[in-house]
Amino acid sequence: MAAILGHVVATERRPNTPHEFHFWTALDAPVGIGTIVRVEGTDAVAGHVPQVYGVVVEGFSYSDLETPLHDVLGADGSPERAMRVPTRRTEIRLYTAAVLRHVPDEPLQPVALGGVYLADDADVAVALRMDRYTQGEAPTGIPIGLYRAGATASPIYLDADFLLGPEAAHLNITGVSGLATKTSAVEWLLASVFAHFPSAKGSVAALCFNVKGPDLCFLDQPAERLDGSDLDLYARLGVPARPFAGVEYFAPYTARGHTLNTLRSHDALSHNVHPLRWGLGEVLQHVEVLLNKDDVDAKADALIEFIRERIVGQEFRDPLLGADAHRVQTFSDLDQWFRGVLRAMEERNQDSWRTHHVATIRKVRNRLSNISTRCRGLVADDGLASDLPWGQFRDRGVYVVDVANLEEDAQDLIFARIITKLRELMEKRALGVDHLVVFVDELNKYAPSDGADTYVRKMLLDIAERGRYLGLVLFAAQQFRSQVHRRVVGNSGTALYGRMDVDELATPGYSTLAPATRARLSTLDKGELMVRHPHFAHPVFVRFPRPAVLSGREGVERFPAAGEPTLEEAIVRSLRQLDKAVTLEWVKDAIALAEEDEVLRARNRTLQVRPDDVKAFFRAQLRRRVHAEPAAPRPRPVIRSSPGDDPYAF
Amino acid sequence: MGESYGGLPPGASMEAVARFLAGLRGSSAWPASPASAESFGLPERRPAAVVDADPLEEVAEGGLAVPGVPEPGFAAFLDGIQRSVVLPGGPHGVPLVYGTVAAAIRRRRDDRVLETWGGGAIVRHSLYAPVARADRGVLGQAGAAGLDVVDTAAEGAHPHEVLSAALDAIHRARGAVEAELATRWCARETALLYVDGGIAGLGEPASSDRAVGVVKSHRTVYGGQAAMNAAFAMAAGQRTHAFTVEGRGRASVASWYLRLHAGDGTDPFGGIVRVEVASGAFTSERADSVSRWILAERSPVALPDPRWRVMPYGIRAVEEYLRAAVPR
Ligand SMILES: Nc1ncnc2c1ncn2[C@@H]1O[C@H](COP(=O)(O)OP(=O)(O)OP(=O)(O)O)[C@@H](O)[C@H]1O
Ligand SMILES: [Mg+2]
Repeated sequence: MAAILGHVVATERRPNTPHEFHFWTALDAPVGIGTIVRVEGTDAVAGHVPQVYGVVVEGFSYSDLETPLHDVLGADGSPERAMRVPTRRTEIRLYTAAVLRHVPDEPLQPVALGGVYLADDADVAVALRMDRYTQGEAPTGIPIGLYRAGATASPIYLDADFLLGPEAAHLNITGVSGLATKTSAVEWLLASVFAHFPSAKGSVAALCFNVKGPDLCFLDQPAERLDGSDLDLYARLGVPARPFAGVEYFAPYTARGHTLNTLRSHDALSHNVHPLRWGLGEVLQHVEVLLNKDDVDAKADALIEFIRERIVGQEFRDPLLGADAHRVQTFSDLDQWFRGVLRAMEERNQDSWRTHHVATIRKVRNRLSNISTRCRGLVADDGLASDLPWGQFRDRGVYVVDVANLEEDAQDLIFARIITKLRELMEKRALGVDHLVVFVDELNKYAPSDGADTYVRKMLLDIAERGRYLGLVLFAAQQFRSQVHRRVVGNSGTALYGRMDVDELATPGYSTLAPATRARLSTLDKGELMVRHPHFAHPVFVRFPRPAVLSGREGVERFPAAGEPTLEEAIVRSLRQLDKAVTLEWVKDAIALAEEDEVLRARNRTLQVRPDDVKAFFRAQLRRRVHAEPAAPRPRPVIRSSPGDDPYAF
Repeated sequence: MGESYGGLPPGASMEAVARFLAGLRGSSAWPASPASAESFGLPERRPAAVVDADPLEEVAEGGLAVPGVPEPGFAAFLDGIQRSVVLPGGPHGVPLVYGTVAAAIRRRRDDRVLETWGGGAIVRHSLYAPVARADRGVLGQAGAAGLDVVDTAAEGAHPHEVLSAALDAIHRARGAVEAELATRWCARETALLYVDGGIAGLGEPASSDRAVGVVKSHRTVYGGQAAMNAAFAMAAGQRTHAFTVEGRGRASVASWYLRLHAGDGTDPFGGIVRVEVASGAFTSERADSVSRWILAERSPVALPDPRWRVMPYGIRAVEEYLRAAVPR
């Protein structure tokens, strides 16, 4: 048996309770804030000697000195002499521990004045109730880190049922910039989930929004530096120290449209970077996201609804617009349609049409055409969409959507559409995986506690509150938990805390932590976390390894982002993903006579269709455009052929 | 001597024992906070006096500077405590006194932390009474329960005389446990023991060079008027010339006065202690060394103990230990 470490004490003024106790130790005992201990009861209750497990949350030290003045007096005012006194004063190390667990659970009694022992591996498992889900037929433990004290080093497991549902779900991590290792912790935990998620619970994938610089741009590349201690942690926790295998990147184009708007633009890494490009149909489903900030009233809403229901993607006939059928597929089609309607109303001196007032029609036209300008690069004028592989998400796949360099509007639209789509598909069990982790960094920006009730915040709230029934799980990180909407953080079953800001710790959310625990939080090392989990009666401290993936900062050095290329370079880069034989010379020749717009459209079409003969297809696109659309004047209204008529479509 | 009481658990608190005794006497009216014999404020039986003594050094009119820097020389500290509880008004007005005495040595480890030496304190509990006149039934039952009964053989009719006799007996019992412990130390250890109080009455240790006695109270002043004058004239850190102290039934020891702190202006003896060492090996150099060692113990201070000017921290630590270790 382990050597005794301390002795429980209680006084009338500071009694022990069923959830807290006090003990003292020798001056050199290996105890600190966060140490897990076991108290052996003194008297058997109903035939069992109770064992109580606790975690140290506060420490005190004092001597028999009644007032500091006596020390001054004894040393004649010389600190040096005070150090040289022949006898050291009697001193105490007194600790307060929060109870983690009583064994047996009943009757729940105040902690006995027993001996205190350092918890060993088995004790730690019992103390945190991990014995219930790491042993037996169907273990559901997900390693989060290693708990260390004295000679003990015990793996700490989260319960998959409480991390990814259905019992509880969601994870939130807080801490100051740079030192809290928030992003790193989530990367590590994803690796751990992928390695340990029990097969009986089905498949799991992750969708990550990259919201900051190159943060998540190199998840498929090995880390530059993993120390021996990191590798030990990986080995001890049973997680392979490897980058993620199935990573796919998605980013919209830049405003100019030559290249994708992501720092992962190095040629060597382009094979799994895909454009994120949405046409009118996709955007219109979520148009409220962008319009709710503006003065869109019920009248405008009604018109938008009408457009969505009756105009887009179908034949539309109206006496006002003559005999021809209109077919609106793209933003430019829509604009043509608006133009037609407004002109006809003007010609007939009509100030309303189908109950919509001309002013409303003008306003809505304005707002909608604005969107394609505001979200250039994301929104396709031409109806050529390129999207996430809805319905085909793969087990252990990581889907990164890079929104780091986008304007707010485009970010909002992306969040809204992706999350709505995920909900829809998860509800129908049609995403392709049973569980999906959605990682959102900088949560205080997307789900702030104050400010307007944005669409994005509503979406995040929705995942937080209902996601666990669907297998949709939010992993979120932010610097200041207090600045995130209460119900979003309130719903996360698991919370991690890295190095914390002292001002943040002074906010009411942390008042239940003992001062010494708060102090430890404000001085945590990189790679150290405090973990709150439904099974743990009190948070515990763990250490986790550096992520086995290349960090964003190192990534951009090793794989520098390509500069904004010329049109020719951009086309070469894109087409070479499909056909290595495409050369700069060939592209120059092929696009010599075409407008930039046409060229980009042809490229987009080629990338979407992925034809066998890339060169021929691309050339054909250009030819078709050049021949089909003579410069001016355009016939009115333009009724474009649907993609179905395209001879090159497959 | 009794260390377990049959009907009582060993080491029972004084109050528990007192209640037990009250029960024996069939007295249900037990005071909420029982009084100690000390609290009666009985007059000191020993009169104040100045006694002559043979000088061991040239008689000086004032204090002698102790040469050199104070340096720690003691390895351990010995002190004792006593406690009493009075069981009031027996059938003949003869009070019973339940007394506890204890002594301990705390040794200074290399890291300057004190630890208890020799396996703990010696603790003795006894019932003190004039056996011839006390309630025989109670004494008999107390004896049967394992309580040690000490006959104080007090003769006076006044209950206070009975109490005084009990207090004297308790005081002697305390001296006895102190002597027992000091004797053990001198037999087993080679390092120096700081004894609170004189060593002359301790038996063997009185002639050992391993024990130094430091007396804080000065009811009897030794060395005559000359030594007393010199003592009052001393500045802090000075000592008087040494002299021989001889007492009734005690060993003769070498002794001198030493001023640890300046006086407080009210008590002429404030800050002054009297040192006792074995007379066999006495030299002036030894008096100087021992004085330096004692002076070194002025810090840390024993405050908040009111006797801090004459009491080193080590002795306070022993008292605190005994207070914590001996159940009240
Ligand atoms: N387990 C670890 N042990 C030691 N250092 C680590 C560990 N994990 C990450 N780090 C280092 O800590 C630094 C910060 O990590 P990270 O970027 O994850 O922090 P962050 O909290 O997300 O910061 P920010 O708020 O700026 O996004 C990185 O330089 C990383 O190398
Ligand atoms: Mg980060």
